[in-house]
Formats: sequence, C-alpha cells, structure tokens
Amino acid sequence: MSRMRLTQQEADPIGGITAAPIVAIAAIFAFAVSIGLTVAHWHEVGSPLAAVLGIVLVGGAGLVAATSAAPSHAPFTVDRLWLVVALAVGAAIAEYVSTIGANRYLYDDFGSIVIGMLILAVAPYCTWVSLLLAGVLAAGVLSILVVGSAATTMTPAPIGTLIAVNSAAVLALSAAAAGYSYAIVDETLAWQREANRAALQRDAELRAGIARSVQQSQVSVLGREVLPFLAGVMTADRISVADADRARELAEALRRALKAGIESTWLDDLAATVRMSRGIPVVIHDPTGGAADLADDQRSALTALVSWLGEASRSAAIRVDVASEPPRRRIGIVTEHGASPPSRRELDRFAAVARAVSMGAEVDVTSENVSVELTHVAD
Amino acid sequence: MTLGLPGHLARDSLSRALAHAGHCAAWVCLGIAVIIGVIGATSSGDPAGWTGAVLSAVMAVLLLLVARYPTVTLTLIYLVAGTGTVLAVTVLVMDPAYRFETTNNVILALPRVALILVGGAGAGSVLAITWAALGYGLGEAASFLGAALAGGVWSPNIAAAMAFGILVVVRTFDGVSRRSDSRRETGLHRASQQTRELAIRHDYELRATARLHDTALSHLVAIAAAGSGPVDERLRDGIRADLGLIVGRDWAADHGQGPDTDGAIGRAAGAAPTTISPVSDDDAPTLEQAFSTAANAGLDVRMTGDLAVLGLLGPARAAALDAAVAQCLINVARHAGVGEVELAIGFGSGDVTVAVMDSGVGFDEREVPEDRIGLRTSIRGRIEQEGGIVRLWSTKGVGTTVVLTVPEGGE
Repeated sequence: MSRMRLTQQEADPIGGITAAPIVAIAAIFAFAVSIGLTVAHWHEVGSPLAAVLGIVLVGGAGLVAATSAAPSHAPFTVDRLWLVVALAVGAAIAEYVSTIGANRYLYDDFGSIVIGMLILAVAPYCTWVSLLLAGVLAAGVLSILVVGSAATTMTPAPIGTLIAVNSAAVLALSAAAAGYSYAIVDETLAWQREANRAALQRDAELRAGIARSVQQSQVSVLGREVLPFLAGVMTADRISVADADRARELAEALRRALKAGIESTWLDDLAATVRMSRGIPVVIHDPTGGAADLADDQRSALTALVSWLGEASRSAAIRVDVASEPPRRRIGIVTEHGASPPSRRELDRFAAVARAVSMGAEVDVTSENVSVELTHVAD
Repeated sequence: MTLGLPGHLARDSLSRALAHAGHCAAWVCLGIAVIIGVIGATSSGDPAGWTGAVLSAVMAVLLLLVARYPTVTLTLIYLVAGTGTVLAVTVLVMDPAYRFETTNNVILALPRVALILVGGAGAGSVLAITWAALGYGLGEAASFLGAALAGGVWSPNIAAAMAFGILVVVRTFDGVSRRSDSRRETGLHRASQQTRELAIRHDYELRATARLHDTALSHLVAIAAAGSGPVDERLRDGIRADLGLIVGRDWAADHGQGPDTDGAIGRAAGAAPTTISPVSDDDAPTLEQAFSTAANAGLDVRMTGDLAVLGLLGPARAAALDAAVAQCLINVARHAGVGEVELAIGFGSGDVTVAVMDSGVGFDEREVPEDRIGLRTSIRGRIEQEGGIVRLWSTKGVGTTVVLTVPEGGE
C-alpha cells in the first residue's frame, strides 16, 4: 500500500495505540487555550453566548478526538477527523461571531491554533494527505472570517497579510501533522522492506532446518510400523495373505494420519509450540481449517495474542475456536485465568492491533476468564 | 510484512519523524514570513518587506540543509543565522510605523517558531528538547536586543512559548511512552517471524505429505492389491528405491527436480520398468515424470500442444506441475478403467495449462471418500502452492477432464 493511503495506526499499530494519551493531552490543552484566550479578549466579546458556544465546541472537538483515539475505539477512521475539524471550525466561527465588529487583534483569537492543535494530535491516525487537506480547508474558512474582521484590526495591513497571519498557526500545525504522518509511515515501510529482505535471506537457512525436522517427524511416523514392514516385504520371497491384509491396514492408517496432517493448519502448529514451551493446554477447534484464510498480518496479530496469553502465567488454559459464518469468520479465544491474569487495558492493545489488520475485535474479561472475539471476512 | 516498528528502531524512527514534523511547520512559518514580506514590499512599497522575505528564505534554505544533513555544525549554523534573522526582523518590525505595541506579535513569532523547530543533530527526546530550548532562548535574547535597538517594548512571545511548550510535551511524552516498552511486551515483531516460520513449516508438511502419499502409500496399496504370492521384482526395486529416497535424503526439501520413483501402480500392473533420468538444469523442463508414470502404468498418452511452453516455468514450478500431472495419470490408470489418456498443453494470458482427459468411468468428486488424498494433496495441493488452480469436470460413464493451470515464472 502506498504512503498516501497508510496511517501510522495501520503501519505501526503499537505506535498508534501508544499515541492515544497525547490526543487527550492536546484536547485538554486546546480547551484551556480557548478559555484562556476568550478571557484575554473578553473586552471585545459582544455576544457572550457565542463565546461560550465556541469554548463548548472546542471541548466537544477535543472529546471526540480523545475518545476516537482510545484503543477501545480503534481504528480511528477518517470521518472522525472531519468531525473533529468541523467542530473546531465551528468553534472558530462562534468565536468570530462573539467578537464581530470589535476584534482588534487576530493574534489573540484561538480558532487557528485550536484547529491546528487538534489536527496535529490526531496525526498518528490519519494519512498525511487528509491532514494537509483538513488544514488547508480550515485555513480557507478562517480566511473568509478574517476578511470580516479586517476593518476593525488595530494594525493596518493589506488583506493578504491578514489572511496569511491568521492562517499561520493552522497551516504550520497541519504541516507538522502531515509531515509526521508521512515520515513515520515512510520509516515504518522502509523498515518493513528491510525486514522482509532479511527474512527472505534467512528463509533458506530456516527452510533447511525445518525440512529436516519435518522429515524426521514424518519418518518417525512411518518408521514406527510402515518402514519395517516395507523393508520386510522387500527382503522376503513371498507376500503372504497376512502381509496383504497388514498392507491394507497400514495404508488406511497412513491415509488417516496424512489426512489429519493435511487438515491441520499453522494455528495447530502454534498451539503445539505454546503447549510445549509454556506447558499449558492449548486447544484448537477449527473443523474447516479456517485459520488458513488469515492474511500474514492477521496471523501475526493472532500469534502475538495467543503467545502473549500463554506467557507469564496469564492463562491456565487456552481454547481457540474458528467458526465460519459466511461471509464472516469468527475466531474466539477463551482462556482460563492463570496466576496473573491479563487486564482489559492490556488486551485492548491487542484488540487495536487486530483492528489495524482489518479484523473486528471484542474483549471481555470476567473474574474467571478472558474472552477475545476476532472476526474477519475471508477473501 | 511485519507489523510496525520493532522496539530497537522506534526511538530513532520516531525522533526523525517528529523532527520532520517540526521542519514542515517551520517551513510553513518561514514561507508565510516570505509571503508577508513580499506583500508588504509590493503592495505598500516597503523595502523592509524585501529584507524580511530574503532573511526568512535564507533561514528556510539553511533548515533544508539541517534536515538533509543533521550535523552539529549545520545545526549551530542554523541557530546562529536564525538568531541573526530574529534580531534583524525585530529591529524592522518594532519600527513605530507598524504600530506593534510589544515583541509579542505574530510577525515576530514566525522566525521565532522556526528557530525552535530546528530538530537538530542526534536522536532522542533529551537532545531534541535541548536544541529547541537553545532555539527558544536565542530567539528570545535576539528579540530582547532587537527591541532595545529599535526602541520598542520587549515582551515574551506567547506563540513562540506555545510552540516550545508543544514540542516539550510531545518529546517528553514520546520519551516516557517508549519506556513502557509496549512494543517488546506485545511481541508483534517476534510473532511475525514466528508466523513466517509456521507458514514455511506447514508448507513443508504439505510437501512431505504429498511425497509420502506418492511413495510409501502406493507401495502398501500395491502389496495389498497383489495378494499372496512371490514378490514382484519391480515392486521390490520400487520399494528399495523409495526407502532410499525417504530415509536417505532431505526428501521434504526436494522440489521435485530430481528423479522421482513414483508409479508403484504401474509396476504393480505389470508394465515394463522405466529408467527415469533427472532433468538437468540446462534442459528445458518436460513432463518426464508424467510420461514415465504413464509408461509404467501402461497408459497410452496422446499429446497435443507444445511441451516447450514448460520452459516458461521455473524448475520447481515445472516439477510441481509434472508431479501433479503424473498423479492425474496414476488416477486414470487406477480408477478410469481405460488404457488411453489425452494431454493438452497450452499457454495463454500468462498461464501454462495442462489438461488431462480420459473417456473412463468418471466419478462424482463429492463421492470421493474423505480419506482419499491423491486429488487433494498431490494434485490440488501442489498446484495451489505454486499459485495455480485445478479444475475438474467428471461425468459418470463419460469421462474426466482435469485442467491444471499455473502462472508462468516461479522458482
């Protein structure tokens, strides 16, 4: 996917989740700025109702931004950006109305800085293009307002200068937001390219090791009964009726074993790994082999969650059910609490990662167990 | 694809991204300063406008150099030049003609903010805050001096202080949040590596399964079918060869480029043994294994199309196609009840297609017992692993057509 269509929360989900508190900080800061500057130019306010409405709208914009960025509400969609910007622009208009005809200084108006700060705060969740567009459109609205204020400002200046001055904060902060979004996605994609290249180089080594272990495991299945039997037939003069019957039995047994092998998926292998390394029971119930439909990133998200749940005594047992409910597939992960069960907040991080890779995610933590439900639409 | 940045790269990457964000904001500030200067110079005929515009443009160019080469020297040059610009612009702007009451005004805020957002050499929150603090302090000092020179009133610039405050908050938050180490804790990078390993392992399991099916299982079936009696020499040779193959080498890793001693059914059916020679790397791929299988099974193959199109496939893909066609032929020999089969080979729309057609008894795929894995693994499994597709049409009493399509290229 190109840089134009990617956000940090998609390219680097943990980075996106980590940034959530800064949105709340920025929202509080923006709210405080709107109050502070309204108080500072209260002598210019002709309509207190509009002034208060402006502050309320800033609060609303900040609230929408902060709640939208919370991991429990991930992913942050582009319509949320537009809602935040629309509320903040509404606040700027209310502020303009409150001081209409008496606005002596543009410098003490909060509209531009508040819109810019909120756009900057949501930079981890939006593409650089949408951030830049939001800034330019907001600056456009502010420019229309400044034309109305031009007659009353103290400093004599051409209208072009007033427009440039009034747009400076929103444009600079939007540029910062877009610059951040572009750079972090670029850095992440560069790392991913490098990691993929390294992984490909390592693959040959990995393949050799895995091939040997697979060979040994399959040969061990064969070795127990089939190989001695075939070796016996090879060195015998005659095939007896008992040999023929035995061959039939072994063929059926082998078919069954192979069928079980074919029907297992990477998720069974993962369960086996967690079971062996952590010593806790991991049960996979995937009758249709639905785990095979998951994309690489979705597999990684599920692997990370199951591995994490299996570590550090978080769970006493893990069960994963993969059910097909066309067109959706549902993956239910239920664990029994271990000695130090996970918190909902910790699990929300994984849910947000899952959402970043096009899966639905619901988390439920009770006194006895943890339940995470992931849904996705199979391609 | 890996999910996100690993912990060890996050610090530098986030630091660079935040510095880039600051630079973008700084360029916008300097750009607006240039525009204001030019408007002042052209619409009001004020020569100070040109001075301000040129100084802001020089700062923007220097910042471009800092962004491109974030060295200590360039950072210091930018800070010094920026301080000079703030001083000069303050002297110009605080002229009583412009009626600015103090240095706390928006025009002076523009170069001041750009000076704070220097970014600077090195990575990490502490260093970034240090450079920004230098920019803020130098800007304030220049502003103070400029006001004194111009006879204006100095007052701290609120916009510059706010920019510095935002930078400190963001950088501090970045530094603190990275300490919680949620990246390592979540283990996404590790999970992504593990997923890759599991995928490769599963791929090998499938290959191994297909190979098992083609070797040991077919011998067992042949022994069961032969009933009591002397051991057929060809069966004995086949078992010997396959045991050597299974036990003696990395057969799971084999991509099918070497000789394959498949065809136990053919040997059991009493066809003449065929010596199969490996396909050398220099030769264009052929359906050698399939033809050998057909010969062993006593099948008469009629072929249409040009075998040379197999040259469009990589050796591994060609070998997978060959093995899958061979399994189709085994199925014909075993189940169709006919002695002849038709192969059609073609190329179109980037795909190589092989159709295997017989006029045998036919079957209903839904009635194939679950435990019969030849079609699923040896044919579909192989072809799908190469990104191809298998289509099958069969009508009882009329015959069966299997069409195997694989994209050109491959390993």
